[in-house]
Amino acid sequence: MKLIKKDEFLNFVDSLIKIDPRRVIGVKSKGNKFIFDTLNSANELRLDYDVTILPPKKYFLPPTETLLKYDLTDKFSVEAVNEVTPLIIIGVHPYDLIALQQMDIVFRDTYQDHNYIRKREESILIGVNIQNVSPYSFAGSMGTATTEEGFDLMLTDLGDEYAIEIGSEKGEAILNKYAKIADADGDTINKVHDIKGKIASKFKKQLNFPPEELPKLLEENYDNELWEKNAQKCLSCGSCNLVCPTCYCFDVQDIVELNLRRGKRVRTWDGCLLEDFAKVATGENFREDRAARYRHRFMRKGKYLYDRFGFIACVGCGRCASACLPDIADPCKVFNALKEG
Amino acid sequence: MKPKVAFFDFASCEGCQLQVLNLEESIIELIEIVDVVSFREAMKEHSDDYDIAFVEGSIARPMDEERLKKIRSKAKILVALGACACTGGINALRNQYSIEMVKKGVYGDADIENNPYFDVFHTKAVDEVVEVDYYVYGCPVDKDELTKVITSLALGKRPEIPNYPVCVECKKEGNVCVFEEGKFCLGPVTRAGCGARCPSNNNACEGCRGLVDNPNINSELEVLQKYGLTLEDALERFKMFCYREMSK
Ligand code: SF4
Ligand code: SF4
Ligand code: SF4
Ligand code: SF4
Ligand code: SF4
Repeated sequence: MKLIKKDEFLNFVDSLIKIDPRRVIGVKSKGNKFIFDTLNSANELRLDYDVTILPPKKYFLPPTETLLKYDLTDKFSVEAVNEVTPLIIIGVHPYDLIALQQMDIVFRDTYQDHNYIRKREESILIGVNIQNVSPYSFAGSMGTATTEEGFDLMLTDLGDEYAIEIGSEKGEAILNKYAKIADADGDTINKVHDIKGKIASKFKKQLNFPPEELPKLLEENYDNELWEKNAQKCLSCGSCNLVCPTCYCFDVQDIVELNLRRGKRVRTWDGCLLEDFAKVATGENFREDRAARYRHRFMRKGKYLYDRFGFIACVGCGRCASACLPDIADPCKVFNALKEG
Repeated sequence: MKPKVAFFDFASCEGCQLQVLNLEESIIELIEIVDVVSFREAMKEHSDDYDIAFVEGSIARPMDEERLKKIRSKAKILVALGACACTGGINALRNQYSIEMVKKGVYGDADIENNPYFDVFHTKAVDEVVEVDYYVYGCPVDKDELTKVITSLALGKRPEIPNYPVCVECKKEGNVCVFEEGKFCLGPVTRAGCGARCPSNNNACEGCRGLVDNPNINSELEVLQKYGLTLEDALERFKMFCYREMSK
């Protein structure tokens, strides 16, 4: 573990911005919310944030991304496109790091998704331990309030300085190149350990049972009337999907230029709450009911992906809960209600 | 064979036709892939021989109905262009008053009796008079979506128009939801396709693209009330562009 004084940390970030060829992204404020965005100066960083509107997933699976371009002008020619901008992302919370590790599994599972994988490989993640807890978040219950992996560097605020855990050679290299650091002594290591140990208990919102019980609970409650009841308020707006760090669905569309000779194929975020999500070419819709779509997301988070990959695909960030205007998307509330029966 | 295309306007500000002209350099490409045989806002020539009719504006008088039916009978494909044509648009605002009141309010004591030009009725969207094959929503229409519709038709494909609400595009933009800033947004029930233009510029969506196929109006009304509107004010927000749907 290393130590860096706060003013030196700002110098480090400014050096990354000025000298390092990668683009530097950090958490900044937007209105009274926070976002991941390109940093122009270290002073813009808000490492005291609670949660960002969108998770850092947007850099690896962009909201809309070109997959290929074609041109029929002479003879048919087509070119695969992968717009990779190497990034250094500063200020990722543990639950988002864990969500990215889940995405890494998903996008390497049956098909090696190079558009995702290359962007991940070319980037550096600098995490930060949570200082302020979002009122919607229940990461403390999901085992995602802290993490020992998934980062290249990990910061813990110690007042005048940050402790830095090194998670990879890439992380260590930028530290050695751009930062003025010292070694952490045993006391500091213990202090960081203490701080991390206490984070989970800071969450006011708690799941009333261990998340391991979720797959069974959901299986038993497939026909619970709660789905129908809550879904009456559902706007089918997909906000709960689109802000989620573990939702990965996309739609693929062709965009043709007016000349009808050139065009591109793009993929863009989709979400299972949207009415036409499960509609196929014949016009058949496999989840026509609002309630069926509403239930599906919870089943995915707590059971289906667990069955397939072995992890609970909700990291408790609370973004869906805060984005849902009729306030029915909160997994913590829904899971607790199912448990209470 | 290039499809022959004609543009027609009814009660409108002609802003949507202007969006066609705003395709700028691409307009050269447009006339390479289709034959524009009639377009009053851009050319003098006119022909009654066309495959695809783009109809802008809403239908305000019996004489408009006659003209529209003629257009329909000649066109293989009829496309409603813009909010006025698709939903009645802001012209339908007058439908909340009696026709006598509307005439009195606009023309006062002028002698319009027996003059067919002033023989107005409650505003109709194009599909209240004839069958519409495709819709290009928005006030005004979005150039990219217009391009998508034209290219799809030229390729003989069905244009893919979103049936999800503006919130989807708003979230992709990473916006702060304007409800959090004390504004009242119709995005959750309004058909996307504009790139969430208004919320991305810190304004509430007014619903200019009309509603999605199955809007959850009750929930939207509850949300508007939760954030502080009376039911009456909440309903009022729909009047600008969604008068027809809301009066059902
Ligand atoms: S649960 Fe909430 S956020 Fe999700 S689609 Fe329904 S209304 Fe929108
Ligand atoms: S389901 Fe909701 S709380 Fe869970 S990870 Fe997704 S956005 Fe966060
Ligand atoms: S839809 Fe809007 S922009 Fe188009 S003609 Fe009507 S009022 Fe004008
Ligand atoms: S600002 Fe409007 S469109 Fe955007 S998320 Fe909020 S309600 Fe939806
Ligand atoms: S945000 Fe709403 S009002 Fe604004 S352009 Fe889009 S549909 Fe129209």
